[in-house]
Amino acid sequence: MTEIILVSEGQLNRRIDVPGGESADMVLIVFPGISCDVRLDVNLNGEGAEANILGAYICGGEEKVNIAIDMHHKLPHCNSRQLFKGIAGGRSKVDFYGKITVAQDAQKTEAYQENHNILLSDGAKVDTKPQLEIYADDVKCSHGATIGRLNEEEQFYMRSRGITLEDAKVLQMISFIAPVLENIDDEAQREAIAAEFDRHIRNIIRSM
Amino acid sequence: MANDILLKIEGLRASVEDKEILKGVDLTIRKGEIHAVMGPNGAGKSTLSAVLAGKPQFTVTEGSIEFMGRNLLEMSPEERAWAGIFLSFQYPVEIPGVTITNFMKTAVNAHREGRGLEPLKAGDFLKLMREKMAFVQMKPEFAKREVNVGFSGGEKKRNEIFQMAMLDPTLAILDETDSGLDVDALRIVANGVNALHTPEKAAIVITHYQRLLEYIVPDVVHVLKDGRIVKTAGKELVAEIEEKGYDNI
Repeated sequence: MTEIILVSEGQLNRRIDVPGGESADMVLIVFPGISCDVRLDVNLNGEGAEANILGAYICGGEEKVNIAIDMHHKLPHCNSRQLFKGIAGGRSKVDFYGKITVAQDAQKTEAYQENHNILLSDGAKVDTKPQLEIYADDVKCSHGATIGRLNEEEQFYMRSRGITLEDAKVLQMISFIAPVLENIDDEAQREAIAAEFDRHIRNIIRSM
Repeated sequence: MANDILLKIEGLRASVEDKEILKGVDLTIRKGEIHAVMGPNGAGKSTLSAVLAGKPQFTVTEGSIEFMGRNLLEMSPEERAWAGIFLSFQYPVEIPGVTITNFMKTAVNAHREGRGLEPLKAGDFLKLMREKMAFVQMKPEFAKREVNVGFSGGEKKRNEIFQMAMLDPTLAILDETDSGLDVDALRIVANGVNALHTPEKAAIVITHYQRLLEYIVPDVVHVLKDGRIVKTAGKELVAEIEEKGYDNI
């Protein structure tokens, strides 16, 4: 069962130990108005351990969102996946740091990390620092990070079909976040969180 | 008759990034008419369609466009769509993460809201979608696909005509709808456009080649060259262009 964490203001420090053959699944959600400092230290301690750590954040004011993930692969046949997607508007500041360490013994590791961001304003700032440290030789690892803006060709296409600019932007942002929200198992909870995102996105667009 | 006029373009000049593309275009379209706009590459054909649909990157520097008596240039792209203008894109845009169902539901309900109507009931919407997809021979599973993502050229153009059928516009602008289509897809697309045409509506068919005009027969043919309409005639002009080429028109 995936653990859903609605991150609150302030510090969140968590050490996660995953025994062999088990899986730690987590979705972190950061809503507007929340400045936070999230530090996760994930340790895959036994063969076949797995971790899926995902997150979505949205900020449109003066928030400072720091997310730091340390993913430690210690033994063979462990898998990890990280996917963080965020939207930064206003004068908010996002720092994402993610490090995957694969120890010498951790052969047959599969480790992936992605961090994608949409900037809504010139005043918002995103720094993303994905890092890989690999000491084993038979592994599959990748990381990727992007910082972009909403695509105006998509917006014009939608508007030419009668979709308002506001709705076009909401569709773009909701679909951007969707791959993270899809991992929330409980349908009612997933829909409630998606509705919250929709509401916050509209507020941010209207304040622009 | 003046009240038959749907679209009236006068002295239209438009530029993109300070480069003037349209250099004084006049065009009047009446109810029931199909107009072809032909011309060589770079003549300004796609600019004309983009300006009609209200693409923000284009600046109109002079002239006027009236659509059903309203000043089109004061309207946003979505307001133009609600008023009954539809542009079939030469290069339909991919929208990752947005399904055709969600896209069309948002579009159809925005049109209804623009006209002061309630949103369509879910069942009625799905029924309408199934009907219009069958009309352009799109498989039902496309409803769940992301808009244009991974579509072939023919699938993208059929999706355009499907959207046109859903929104039922008064003026359809088909920008190079024939590009990248094989004969079968061309016939499906052309049949769709013909079936949607009524004496109350009009269409502008923009194309480089005569091929599409064998299927969608125009009432009036214009040749656009270097940002101006240099010749206007009946459908016989299509054969003349084919014979002489654009250089000698």
